[in-house]
Amino acid sequence: MSDEADLKLLDQGYHTIMRRVVETGRAPHYTDLASELGLELGAAKALIHDLVAVTPGWTHPGTDYLASFPPFNLQPTQYHVTIDGEQNWFAQCGFEAMAVRWLVPGKHVEINAPCLCCGEPIFVSMCDDVIESIQPEEAVGYSPSEVGGDAASRPFR
Amino acid sequence: MNLFRSEEHARNWSDFAEDMAPSLLPISEWADIFANPFFRQRGREDYISWTRSAEGAAAFGELRARLPRRTET
Repeated sequence: MSDEADLKLLDQGYHTIMRRVVETGRAPHYTDLASELGLELGAAKALIHDLVAVTPGWTHPGTDYLASFPPFNLQPTQYHVTIDGEQNWFAQCGFEAMAVRWLVPGKHVEINAPCLCCGEPIFVSMCDDVIESIQPEEAVGYSPSEVGGDAASRPFR
Repeated sequence: MNLFRSEEHARNWSDFAEDMAPSLLPISEWADIFANPFFRQRGREDYISWTRSAEGAAAFGELRARLPRRTET
């Protein structure tokens, strides 16, 4: 397969998975992906791993199951995401939670999360470019490690 | 990459590391960082190709420049 064909397949796989996660809160298994994209099972399984290699997502260790497909997480996290009143998603982290809105233009996105220090709630609501509410107003984001990992090996590429 | 009710709460968190204190920013600022085209463009059908385009590379460069880095201790 040519590099161009490889890239087209990555595009198709990424878009198919993202669309499914946005619509349902769940990622397709590679057998579903194979069916949807007309691929052999082995090619669809490889595609899952190829995609997580070029994005900040990951599979559950030792499996072919997508666990994180940012900005979403397929396993529950403390970052509950509500879109237009429906709570059906989790964000990968507190920062990626801020990027969910770009996948649902025109819709209201709410993030509810407990503070990891005290367990009391934090709430953020947004729609497209507008941050409508941050409660409490003095709430902050913090990462004990560099976002995306070390600069030389970040999966943003 | 977590949210806290205040800077004091973040600093009291068991995993707080002073050398990453530059990442201690208001949520509104993190929301702005995560408004980079790298995140905005995720819905497009050719997203992976886009990340490898000149436009994608420029967005990534801008993103990297804004991400807080670990300080020397």
